[in-house]
This record gives sequence, C-alpha cells and structure tokens, in this order.
Amino acid sequence: MAAEDSHKKMKKRKHTKKNIEQNSVKENSQLPESEDNFYKGNKDKKNKKKYSGEKGDTKTVGMSNIKDESDAPGGGKKKSKKLRAEKKKNDKIAKAEVNDVGTPCNDEGQDEFSDKKETSNEAGECKMHKSMKKKRKNAKTLDVSEVDKLDNEGEDAAEQKNDEEKVGATHTEHEDLMASFRGLSEAETSRSANARNSKKARKIKKKDRLLVNQSSQENSVEKKGEAEEYEVYEMSSGDEDSSKGMKKWITEYHQSRPGLKVLQERIDDFIAAHEAQEEQARREREAKAAEGGWTVVVHHKGRKKTSDAESGTVVGSVAQAAVLDKMAKRKNKDAGPDFYRFQRREAHRNEIMMLQSKFEQDKKRIQQMRAERKFRPY
Amino acid sequence: MGSEATYTDSTNLKLRELLKEAQHDYSPESTKIINDFVCSIKKAIDQIPEDLQVTADLGPGFVRDIGADKVEFKFKKPKSIEIGGSYSFQCVAKPDVHVDLFLRLPKECFYEKDYLNYRYHAKRFLYLCIIKKYLKLSSLIQEVRWSTFHNEARKPFLVVYPAARLSGNAAFFVKIIPTSTSLFCASKLILERNNVRSLNQEGVLQATPKYNSSILEDMFLEDNFEFVKRTFMGWKELGEALILLKVWARQRSSIYAHDCLSGFLISIIMAYLASKSGKNRINKPMNVIQILRITLDFIANSKIWDHGLYFQPDGESNISNKDRRKQFQSFPVIICDSFGFNLAFRMSLSGFQELRDEASLALSCIDKCKDGGFDEMFMTKIDFPAKYDYCIRLNLKGSREVYSCGFCLDEECWRKYEQKVLSIIDQALRGRTKLVRVIWRNATFECNIEDGLSTLDGEALLIGISINSMEEAFKQAVMGPSPEEKDKALEFRKFWGDKATLRWFRDGKIAEVAVWEHEESERHIIIKEIIEHVLSHHLSLPKENIISIVDQLDFSLRHGNKDPISFSVNLLKAFDNLSKHLRLLDDIPLRISSVQPLDSAFRLTSVFPPPPHPLAYEDSVGVKPQKLTSTCIQPLEVMIQLEGSGNWPMDDLAMEKTKSAFLMKIGESLQEKWGISCTATEDDVDVFLSGYAFRLKILHERGLSLVQKQGNAHVKRVLSSDKKLFVRGQHSSMINGLRGRYPIYGPVVRLAKRWVSAHLFSNSLTEEAIELLVAYLFLKPLPFRPPSSRITGFLRFLRLLSEYDWSFSALIVDINGDLTPEDDKEINHNFMSNQREYKDNMQNISPAMFVATVYDKASEAWTSVSPTAAELRRLATYAASSAKFLTSVIMQNLNDSYRWECLFRTPLNNYNAVILLHRDKLPFPHRLLFPSEINQGRKILHGNPSKIFQPFLLPGDLRGSLEEMKNKLMVNFDPLRYFIHDIEREFPEKFKVWYDSLGGDAIGLTFGNKSSKKRGRNNNCEDKDVVDSLRAVGELGKGFVRNIYLLKAPKNKLRHGYLRSVSDRD
Repeated sequence: MAAEDSHKKMKKRKHTKKNIEQNSVKENSQLPESEDNFYKGNKDKKNKKKYSGEKGDTKTVGMSNIKDESDAPGGGKKKSKKLRAEKKKNDKIAKAEVNDVGTPCNDEGQDEFSDKKETSNEAGECKMHKSMKKKRKNAKTLDVSEVDKLDNEGEDAAEQKNDEEKVGATHTEHEDLMASFRGLSEAETSRSANARNSKKARKIKKKDRLLVNQSSQENSVEKKGEAEEYEVYEMSSGDEDSSKGMKKWITEYHQSRPGLKVLQERIDDFIAAHEAQEEQARREREAKAAEGGWTVVVHHKGRKKTSDAESGTVVGSVAQAAVLDKMAKRKNKDAGPDFYRFQRREAHRNEIMMLQSKFEQDKKRIQQMRAERKFRPY
Repeated sequence: MGSEATYTDSTNLKLRELLKEAQHDYSPESTKIINDFVCSIKKAIDQIPEDLQVTADLGPGFVRDIGADKVEFKFKKPKSIEIGGSYSFQCVAKPDVHVDLFLRLPKECFYEKDYLNYRYHAKRFLYLCIIKKYLKLSSLIQEVRWSTFHNEARKPFLVVYPAARLSGNAAFFVKIIPTSTSLFCASKLILERNNVRSLNQEGVLQATPKYNSSILEDMFLEDNFEFVKRTFMGWKELGEALILLKVWARQRSSIYAHDCLSGFLISIIMAYLASKSGKNRINKPMNVIQILRITLDFIANSKIWDHGLYFQPDGESNISNKDRRKQFQSFPVIICDSFGFNLAFRMSLSGFQELRDEASLALSCIDKCKDGGFDEMFMTKIDFPAKYDYCIRLNLKGSREVYSCGFCLDEECWRKYEQKVLSIIDQALRGRTKLVRVIWRNATFECNIEDGLSTLDGEALLIGISINSMEEAFKQAVMGPSPEEKDKALEFRKFWGDKATLRWFRDGKIAEVAVWEHEESERHIIIKEIIEHVLSHHLSLPKENIISIVDQLDFSLRHGNKDPISFSVNLLKAFDNLSKHLRLLDDIPLRISSVQPLDSAFRLTSVFPPPPHPLAYEDSVGVKPQKLTSTCIQPLEVMIQLEGSGNWPMDDLAMEKTKSAFLMKIGESLQEKWGISCTATEDDVDVFLSGYAFRLKILHERGLSLVQKQGNAHVKRVLSSDKKLFVRGQHSSMINGLRGRYPIYGPVVRLAKRWVSAHLFSNSLTEEAIELLVAYLFLKPLPFRPPSSRITGFLRFLRLLSEYDWSFSALIVDINGDLTPEDDKEINHNFMSNQREYKDNMQNISPAMFVATVYDKASEAWTSVSPTAAELRRLATYAASSAKFLTSVIMQNLNDSYRWECLFRTPLNNYNAVILLHRDKLPFPHRLLFPSEINQGRKILHGNPSKIFQPFLLPGDLRGSLEEMKNKLMVNFDPLRYFIHDIEREFPEKFKVWYDSLGGDAIGLTFGNKSSKKRGRNNNCEDKDVVDSLRAVGELGKGFVRNIYLLKAPKNKLRHGYLRSVSDRD
C-alpha cells in the first residue's frame, strides 16, 4: 500500500511527460521490490495478486510486467519515447533479476522463501535473455536514447553519492557507445554488465524513496550495512611476488628449462647415483653369499639368453615374440577347462546362472525404468 | 537355448511395458465418459432444425477458394452417426486419444451431379459449419476446431474437445468426419474422368484422379473401416502389433505424414496381410513380435508393391495385375480396396521410398541391436534434424506464387508446390543425394478455414536431404552437355541460370558447367549454395526465406574468418619431415624404428590445429614474424620407438630418466646435423621444425609388458606412462583410420569437443572419450545411417550423451570390427565387476562411463577418473537441453545467429562461485568464444592483470634478433592449466573446478561434498570461511584472475537450471 501511495503522490506532483515516464518505470520496478514487502508481511492487495500470479507461473509475471510497460508509456507517444521505454523495460527486467538474486544473498533468515525466489530468479533470467535479444536488435536505433538515459542514471547514482556505482554507470555509458561498433556478442555482454551496474545504483535509490515503509527501510539499511562489510577485495597483479600466480608460473617455466647441458648433467648424475646404488646392492648380496651363506638358484625357463650381459647386444624383440608365440602354442596343448565332464557341466551351469542373474537384473532395470516413465514413447 | 530365451524375454518385458503406456485404458469409467460425450454431441446435432437454408455465407472464403458453384441446400439431419476409427476396435494409441465419429451425410442435401466442380466439397464443408455452430452452444463442449483430413485442406473435419477429462486427467477429443456412403455413382468417379471442368488444356479436359479419389474416399470410408474392424476385432495380438507399429511410425516424422503413412493405412496393410488376398501371411498363432516383423518385412521387401495390393472380393479375380496397374498409373503406390478405389492415393513416391527404407532399417534394428532393437525402434525420436543430413526450411508465408493457378484443381496447390520443389532439388543435386524428402504440413489445427485457404501457409515447408557419399556430394562442378548438343545445352542453361558457364577441360572437352568453388574445409557449403541458387532461380524466392541448416555452427570452430583445419596440410607435411629426419639420425646409441603421431591435430579432430608459428622454423629458414605473433606455442606429441636392446634398466624411474637422456641426445643431434633447435625440461623435449613444436615421447615395449603383469592383478587403476603411451598410440591410429572412412567425422568431433569445453566440462570428459563417443555414432548408427553432416552428427552426439543408459550398459566402440564374441563377453564381465565395485562403495568417486575398445577392454584409458556419476548427470542434463534447443532452432522459425550461439554459451549461474580471468592473459585470446560477464551474485575479489605475460609478441620484441625472439617463445605455457592445477592441489576436497581448456575466460567452482554437508542454514561463520578460501583461490591466480563472484546456487536445483535457462529462450 505504502509503496503505491508514495508512487501516486509522485504522480500528482510531477506532470511533465518525462516524469510520467519515469514513474511508469518505477511502477514496474516496484514489482520485485514489492515482493520483498510481501515477504515481510505487508499485505498489499495488488502486490499480492501479482505475486500469487508469479507463484503459479513465472511466465505470467513476465507477461504482465511487459504489459504494464507498454501500457504505461502508451497513450500514443512519440516513437522515440517508445523506444526509450522499451529500453527501460529491458533494464527493468534485468533489474528484477539482480534484485531477486541480491536479496537472498544479503538477507539471511529468508531461506524459507528461497524456493520462490529461485523461480523468480529463473524468470528473470529468461527475461534477461529476451531483453538481450531485443537490445541487440535495436542496438543501432537505440544508441542515442541509451546514452541519454544513461545520463539520467548517472545523475541518480550521483545523488546516491555512491562513487563506485557512478564510475560504473559512466563507464558503461562509454562502453555502450563502443559496443555498437564492436561485434555482437561483445555488445551483449557489456550491456548486461551495464544493466547490472546501473541497476544497483537505482536499486539503492529506490530503496531510499520507499522510506514510508518501515520494514523495507530497515531492510535497505541492513543491506547497506552488509554491502559495506563485504567490500570487494582488491588484489595486486602480483608481478613482484613469485610465490603465487602468473609470476610463479613464468618463473617455474623458465626454471624448468635450464638448457640441454644442465639437464644432461642432472640425468647423468642420477644414473650414476642409481648405478652406484645398484652396484652396492649387488656387492652386498655377493658379500652375503661369500660369507658362507647360500642363495637360491632360480631355474630360468625357456630359451637361454642370447646376449652378452656386458655388451648388451641384441636379444631383440624377435626372440621375445618367438617365446611368446611358443608359449601360446604350448598353452593349447594343455588340458582345457572343459576336459573333464564335471568341468563342462559346471561351466554350463555357471553360464545359465549368469544368464539368469542378467535376466533378473534386466527385470529390475525395467522396473526402475517404469518408475521413471521411460517407456512412454511420447 | 538359454541366450535366445532371455533375449526375447527381456524384449517381451519391455514391449509389455510399452504397450501399457501406449494403450488406452478401456475401463468402464472412461468408456462411460466417452460415451456420454458422444451422446451429448449426437443430441446437440439432433437439435439442429430441419430444412435450414444453407448458403455459402457460412464460409464464403472456403467456397470461393475451392471454386465451387451452386452450393445452396436445405439442412437435413445426418443419416447416421457412428463411432469408428481405431478407438472402436481398441487400438487407439496414446497420447493421441481420439474417437472418430462418422457422420453420414444425408442424400437429400446433394444433387446427383454434385461430384462435379467441388460442389461436394463445398457442401460437405457448409454442412460441418452448421454443426459447428450448434455444437458450440453445448456446455459440455469446451471447444470446436477445424482440422483437415490427412492435411487435405479441401476436406476439413471438426475436432471437438470436451469439457470433461478421462481418469488420470488424460485428455481426449472427438473427430467428426463426414462420410458420403452411396451418395454418388462410383462409375462417374473413375480415375480417367474429368470432374473439375476448369482443368483443361486448350479446351481438352484432363483426368482428375486425385480429385475423384478424394470423393471416393469419403464414399467408401465406412465400408473399409468396417472391413478393418472385422479383422481386428477379437484378435489381441494383431491389435497390439498395430499399436506398436503406430508408435514406431509416430517416432518418425518423415513417414508419419500426409503423403506416406497414417494409422489407418497401417491397419489396412495389416488387414491385407491377414486376409485371403494377402495370402494369410499373418495368422492367428503368431505372437506380437512375429506380426510386427512380418509387416515390416512386407513393407520393406515385398515385390507385390510393384503391382499393387488388391483386396479381392470373393471369387472374382479375372483381371490381371498388369491391367490394373495401368488403371492406376497415376499413382505410385496402390492399395486397392474391394471397390476398386486406391486407398493409398495420397502416397508419394519419395514418401514410399522413405517408408521402405525405414522399414528395412527397423528390421536391421531387430536383428542387430540389443533387446530386439526396442530402444531404437520405439523410444528414439527420429525427427528431421536427426535423420537428414541437411534440413532446409522454406518460409512461404504470404507467397502468392504457391496458389497462382488456383488453390485446388485436381490436386491442391500445396501438394503441387511440394512436387515442384522436390523435382527442382532432385535435378539440382542429382548424383549427390540418396533421398530428398519434401513435406509441407500446411494445414495445422489453428487454421480458420471459413476465411479461405490463403492463410494455410503459416508453417514452413521442410526439405530433408540424405547424402550418399561425401565425395559425390561435395563435388564442385555440375557437368553439363557439350554446347554442340544445342537442345540439351539450352536446357542446362535454363536450369542453372547465370551459374552455367562454358569451360574447356584439360582433356580437350568443352562443356557447360555450373561451378561452386570452395576450399577443402568449406565444401559442405556447396550443397547449401546450390539449393539456394536453384530455388531462388526457379521459385523466385528471396534468399532470406530459404533457411538451410548447414554451416550455422561453423563460427565456433573458426579463427576469424578461417577454419584452422586448413593448417593441417602444413602440419602433416611437417610431421613427415620430422619423421624423415628422425629416422636418418645415426649418431645415437639406438636407432629410431618408428615415429607415430599422438596429438589429435594429426588426425584432424583437434578443435584448433595450430597454425605454423613463424619462430618455430629451423635456423636456416627465416620467416618474418608478423603482427600478433603468439608467444605461446602448442606442442604436438609424437611417439617414437627405438630398436630393441637388453640394456634398459628395469627400474621404473631409471627407465624414465634413460628415456629423457635419449631424447636429449636426439635433440642435440638434430641440432648439430640440421640446425633444428629444441628445448627441454626434465620430462619433455620439444623440437621446432617447419613451424611446429613437436614433443617427443619414447615408448618402451619392455615397460609395457612389465605393467601388463601388474595390471592383471587389478592393482593399478592409474596406468603407467608406457601403457598410456601405448594406448594413445593405438587410439590415434584407429581414430585416424576411422576418419579416413568417414570424412565428416572430424568436424563432428570438433564441434562436440567445442561444446563440451564451452560448458566447462574440460575436466570431466577427456578428448579421447569424446572421440570415441562420436565414433560410436558412426559405427553403431542404428536406427539412423551414419551422419553425413556436421550438425546432424553433433545433434546425435548430444542425444547420445543425454540418453545413453550408462549405469546399465557399457559403450563398446569397435572401430575396425575386430571384437570377437569372447571379447564382448570379457568387456561385459569387466563392466559388471566394475558396477559391483561401484555399488559396494558408493562414496568412492568411481567412473560412471564405461567405454570399451579393442585396446582397452576394461575402460581404464579415458574414463577411469572422470566423469564421476555427478558430473555425468550434469553433462547429460546439459546435453539434453542443448539437443532440445538445437532441434527447435532447426525446426522453428528462429534463425538469428544469436540463437545458434546460445548452444555454446554456458549459463554461469549453476556454480557456487565463478572466477573470471583476464582475457588478454589467456595464451590464445582469439579462441575465446564469448567473453563472460556475470550479473548476479556478490563480487568478492578483483585482481589486476599481470604485466609480465603477454599472449602476443610486443612490437618492441619484433625488432630484436631472431634468437632473442625465439627465447620469448613459450612451449605449452598455459596459465589456465597451472591455475587449475594449483587450485586442485590446494583445495582438493573443498572445490570442484569446471573450466574450458579451449580458451574460456570463466572458471566455475562448486563446493565439494564435504563442505556442503557442513553448510548449515544461517551459518555466517561458514560463509566467511567460504569467502576467505575464495580469496585464497584468487591469490593463487594473481595476475590472471579478474574477478571472483560468490553465487548461491542452491544445490538441489543445479541439475535443472541449465535446462530451463536454455529452453526458456525460445
């Protein structure tokens, strides 16, 4: 109610077309806002209606939102204004999203509504896409009005004395101009960023205007407080610190490539150490044997080694392959697993058991699929 | 006996389940609801006053457009209203639950000669108009709409929607179909007669077979229906088979169409097979599967179709089939009822070919697929985008040309137009295509027939093209006749318009040709250009109304305007060069016996095969670096094998060191002999040759056999380096072979890889796994044929990923067809034990995807680490919504490039936190598809870019000496990879990282299992903890990280988020 009232008052106060348009903008942006109020137990009839609509079907909200938009600035205004209005509508839609996402982030204790918010969040998202698309289509024609509008936003932000937001707004203004000359995709993203920044500025502004509403006032104060608490952490480029990040990676990269010579030396060292170790182990073994102990002599199956252990001339893969081949041949001669009748019987039984278990499994699977309605061919 | 029994049994089980879903529930309650509703319709019709004067004013548009004269009559009550259609013999298949009401038109309303000049059609329509008017008054009826009989606009009927619903809230509706039993003398409507007087050529009246059939159809509708009903009544198996066949046909939009199959025609064909005229091919003792098979086999293979199917009235068969064929010469397919009327008069030749093709595919599904092809036949949707290699939409809305000769003569103008388009495309693509299908479903439900027929062009006309062989299809020239054959040459010129030119060939021949010149990588556009050219030339359609789905996704594979795949030629040359040099080396202890490529760029499946780098040439060759010379270079791995030797150390580590020593020696001697420079770390040696950096790897066979011994004991999950190399070598050569067989394989893989990484799944699905998945599409294409276009292949990849039942079956990719039944058994055994392990140990993040190949029967190579079950679920959800989205973009009238881009734009709201990177610090910034921005969540960190790394050489660097510049070149330097590695090392449990290895600028983080359990509701402290660790993550990427956002994506919603955000866009 309160929101409505303040809104009406404003309407009465200002009669210029521009302001009417601004109001219309406000009326729409009120929607997500009023949701907040609703959560807090503010029973505004109109809001409630709208909200319940949203509960039922997120899409309808999108529709009504858009309808509101086109109604408000309607009444036969000039084309350029319509375009502007449309642009604002898009912004609004985007804002709705930011708003919705923003609140769950900041307001703890509203978790019970998180589900609903999600839906609206998603609605916002889809609207966002729509708006992005529209924007792109209108990109060229809208350029002028956009800048114009962004000016307004810049002012708003200034009112708010939120320096950072202002920078954002002006920055995006610049971006916007650039965007029209750049590629499509780039334009879109920069715009969505733009929408986001300017939105924040306006969101806070709106909050202040709704002072009449006690709860929402608290709400906004609370939010501001939190926002300050979690300020963005600025991180340096780290170019002086080689323990982390880019500098570290580059340093490591260069360190890992000291040149062939150094690397070869390292490997030689390693191999030498390794050989020494082995040599020592061998010597120890021999020493043990010499001490009068005894070692197990293992019989080596197969062909004798053809190569000299010292010179290491070819034993060759051929020989190895031959051995393997031979082994494979010999294997065939061995008694197979179905040599005895009981073996065969057992194998047969096993197979049947396996098939049975597979069939059981299939059946279970089918049950599961039926539960998932996987058999519905449409 | 055992295997056969289970095979049919589990099929049977599934069929039973399917039938349960598809059969309408004929319970007393629902029957009562339906009967009551039908009664109320009858009552409403009964209340229409007799002798009401009916004039054309009820639907002036319709009467005008079909060109009828003398349409006034006095309304009489219908002769009878009977329930007919498949509902009456309990064969209606869900979801299309409807009741046909046959409304027999009273003879009193018609004159004897009303079969002439569309008077019958007009009166039939006006009669329905009256009924519609009165039905609307009834409160039990929610809505009455027009629809058209098999898309024939001149024969509309009424669809009545009840206010009531069946149990379970199932909807049903009633179709009111007028019939005209014994209204006219059938002999006046024999096919040779002309009954539309305005159809003449210079005064000579022409036969109107289609028009006559259209009236005859109404006259014999009830009789034929009675015959079908008699056959099906009380024959349960036959009825079930009919329902299954309906399901089968409905899944195939290319055959369940007005010029091909309908539910009624299926039942007629089955009734034929069960009748004496059909030699009782179907008889009582058969079960459902047998009936199904016989019917499909008859459709696919029977020679009887050449002469036609004839229902013979008892004891009367004195006319030979040939004479009859002559009688029906104007129809490609004949199913003649006992009255001498062709029931299949709408069927077109292309439709029939398609039908036979689909039927034979279905038969091979039954034979070759598991569970008797159940999934392939009944559960897989075969729509235009997935079936045809090229889909083309023609937007003909408001195009007057379509009905310039009047709406309806013998045929309707839309059918005529279909034929015209088909013949043009057929001629233009002769030799290139296997099948062209043109369908225009122009008469949809929403049309308002009263206002005339000109509005019936809202739907787009669809053209589907299947390609025979790529070689033929992508030919650049259409050869024409020599100019000496004047008539033919003139014809050629007329057909091809300004594209026809005279050319002198090398063999001295001179001929007319039409040429489309394109680079190798752009050949697929040729078909599109040909079609656009001929259609706009012959139909004077503006280009923007011809939407061909061919190259819309190419943007994702391009660098600027160029597809980097064209660099592959250089690459392969460079590789040959390398292997020649390597083999020639003789001053190393062991000679090199083989050189094998490993990197995907060598087998043309890399998304971005690297371009030759100006600084990676041999010393002797100086190539001047241009602007924008990259500082990073991708190394391409090459595997070499050395001569055998017994002197290798047996120890793992020592062996690796020895390999490195060998590689360094090789590098050194390349440098000395040919001035080929190289760079090395302790593990890798990179050789610069012909513009590429080759990373050499040694495969040592001995190491392999060592590992195999260990592997048998199931000790190691992680493969040793030699085994890995071996497997990669095998994979590489097999995929290369496959790519040779299917030229389109490469582009499909590249799209698939791009999609996977664009949605930040680089960590979840390895490149090789993607290659195998796509290979599966080509090797086991049923129920399709192997794809021949990149978009079709890509769509099928998405569907495979989303629909495959990973938890229940192994994916076996048998590239060269050399798996024996024993191998299959072994694979299945491995799979089962794998599953058991998984079930035993639920917390264990075990692999969810089992992909087996000849060289890897236990699926250890590519999917043993990832994706996990959760990752796979996410992948499948993304794939499902992308597939759905792609289908709708192809089928619907949305073709702006933004929509196509959406397929590769990933929503960033499905993560707990998102890290955005500095784009200009990516090693290859030009590979970034879309710059990511975030408009939600809380920004908690902002980092400044590092100044020490630039992806491109600065102008200052370019002035230095070649040596200096070469030192600036960094091999395989990838900050993204290092960053991911650092995060995973520092926070192994806390965060799960999602990223795009192909050059995305966003990284998604989701909380690992442990932290999510701890996360309470209002746990402020926990929140703080998260922020702190995110800051720590940011610190790890100093100089690289731009922003970090904390989002609160609720965990349980993750799975569906993407689905909605994508599908809501349309």
